[in-house]
Amino acid sequence: MVMAESASAEEVARLEARVAKLERLLADRSRVLRSLARGLCEEDLVTLSRLESGLPPLLRSDAGSLVWRDTTRLTSADVERTMTALWRAVAPFHGADEE
Amino acid sequence: MTLRKATLIVLAWNRWDLTRKCLDTLKATDLSGAEVIVVDNGSTDETPQALKAYSWARVITNPSNLGFVRGNNIGIVAADPDSDVVLLNNDLEFRQNDWLQRLRACAQAVPDAGIIGCRLRLPDGRLLHAGTFIVPDTMWGQQIGSLEKDFGQYSVTREVEGIVFACAYIKRELIAKIGGLSEDFQSYFEDTDYCLQARRAGFQTLLCGDVTLVHDEHGSTQGDGAHFDHIFQESREAFRKKWHKSLDSRYTHEVFWQSIMNFPTGYAMSCRELLRALDQLGVRATYRYAYGPKTPFYLLEPESSGDYLMEVIRGRHEPRRPPLSVVYGQGDVFWRNRGHRKVGFTMLEVDGFPKDWVAEANKMDEVWVPTEFNRQGFLSSGLKRPIHRIPLGVDSNYFHPGIQGFPNPTGEFVFVSNFEWGERKEPWLLLKTFNDEFSSEEPVRLLCKIINVDPMKSIRNEINKLQLKATGGKISFLLNREFPHYQLGAFYRSGDCFISAGRGEGWDMPLMEAMACGLSTIATDWGAHTEFAHDGICFPLKVRKTIPAVAKCPYYEGFSWADPDPEHLRFLLRYIFEHQDEAKAKGAAAAREMAEKWTWRHAAAKIIARMEALAG
Repeated sequence: MVMAESASAEEVARLEARVAKLERLLADRSRVLRSLARGLCEEDLVTLSRLESGLPPLLRSDAGSLVWRDTTRLTSADVERTMTALWRAVAPFHGADEE
Repeated sequence: MTLRKATLIVLAWNRWDLTRKCLDTLKATDLSGAEVIVVDNGSTDETPQALKAYSWARVITNPSNLGFVRGNNIGIVAADPDSDVVLLNNDLEFRQNDWLQRLRACAQAVPDAGIIGCRLRLPDGRLLHAGTFIVPDTMWGQQIGSLEKDFGQYSVTREVEGIVFACAYIKRELIAKIGGLSEDFQSYFEDTDYCLQARRAGFQTLLCGDVTLVHDEHGSTQGDGAHFDHIFQESREAFRKKWHKSLDSRYTHEVFWQSIMNFPTGYAMSCRELLRALDQLGVRATYRYAYGPKTPFYLLEPESSGDYLMEVIRGRHEPRRPPLSVVYGQGDVFWRNRGHRKVGFTMLEVDGFPKDWVAEANKMDEVWVPTEFNRQGFLSSGLKRPIHRIPLGVDSNYFHPGIQGFPNPTGEFVFVSNFEWGERKEPWLLLKTFNDEFSSEEPVRLLCKIINVDPMKSIRNEINKLQLKATGGKISFLLNREFPHYQLGAFYRSGDCFISAGRGEGWDMPLMEAMACGLSTIATDWGAHTEFAHDGICFPLKVRKTIPAVAKCPYYEGFSWADPDPEHLRFLLRYIFEHQDEAKAKGAAAAREMAEKWTWRHAAAKIIARMEALAG
């Protein structure tokens, strides 16, 4: 019985450590997602989620597949980053071999 | 053609890591016709010992740090007296093989040139310097283009007021006339001083736009901040005493300018550019905000633009009764003009002007509009005062065919359009026509950069209403992305053909900027932009007729604008896609014409001519 109690305590400690680790991971993940949600538009978030789930990104903004966020708020943007992201979304696999 | 020998003088003081990188990268470039002197300004680190391994350079060792000026002067005295001299900081890195040969060629090509500098870039790739200017009010020097992302702006050789002497090619004729650097300065301001001395002696300072060096700025002066601040303040005072009167006398005209500067509007952008060009041509402008409470745009203006020259112009003392005041804005703020002589400068997108604008305009001494289209519109609406054409312009340093774009990597031909969603721009015509004309299988795409700040309007719904076909021409959208104005050239250069297919324009700055970038363009053949867009450099889009200008804007009521022909737009889209070489040639011709005829400098020169006429 003593042995069993000891084994059980060990198991509880192991599980508690695992839960703590998962909670830390979850907190980290939430922090990343919050910061992504602040910095990315809905369209980028959709693409990111799909890529992380192993799905190809939706063809972005082509006629008939409008997935971008409709907004009246102006957002400061950088041409290089915007165009690079746009072309990658339009043709996600173009040049993939070179990368 | 034999180019004159050049003596390169690298001034070093400690920081052997930087000097080594400088010399190693320098040696790897084309140094034919050149001799290299390293002046060690009393380094106390491993520099003196390490330099012994660089037998290809002549080393001069100063016993102590004599400062930037005296250190360089020792090098100038030691140089071959028949050679030109190139002063180089030891925190430079050379990644362009022919940098020296290009500077030598530039020096030879312009007989009046005395000093030639180059573009400097930070190690992280941002532009650091494309020339300098000094504002007389504050004696604070400014580096042109500093800290902008480098897209290839300022890549054309041009005259500037000054350059920083991190890299300065100095011709022997100039040294023979004015000697070395002024020892009134230990460090700082000696470069601007030398450029001003050169100008006084009849020599130009040029910025050679096709040479770029990497500058790890102040690599040798990092550390003792208080010490360098002291040197800086001393030099600044010496400079002020020497040059203040002379710099101030470069202003030959004055104007009180009432407009809008610090909002993201077309008037504000063009106001800044006009004021900048006027300043360069010797007009001392004082700015005040024309809008605010009791005007149609009641918001107060943010105080800071982040643009040093604009802040100086904005901060200047306001005269009690300005001899000449220009209100640059809508006609319903002309009443705010406080000048003894009054000018109202405005524009509109339809074929006439509202009654209240005309009434206000009739109280001005004269009225300015950018185009003949608007001149006729004002006259037909009852204007009785003199009216003159003062065009707007484009900054060919930021909008030219050498600006780096980010083209579609798939090689699709990209049509670009840039507009605010609304009745005047009539975007549905372009979207429907493009989507109908092309199929999704064709290597062509329309990219629309759309602005919509109207909360009553959903762009998604508006586009859905058009029922664009998935099998039709491919369209991409960028909604409400605000690019810094200096980056817009890179946006246009990411496409192949720019389309402005709206109903009316007051000027059409995006069209002019795209043309200056060398894109082929389609533009409605009616309205203000026909002042500069014609069929030799643009593909004009036929108009079926003019129709009543029905829109939310109250200024348009009772006037007309264009009804662009959808069939002709369809034809032009296909024609350009199938005749890309011809389109490219038209774009190249447009870029040349914009740079030759339509810069802000041209606009400012016309303003000055009117100011002189008004002064009698």
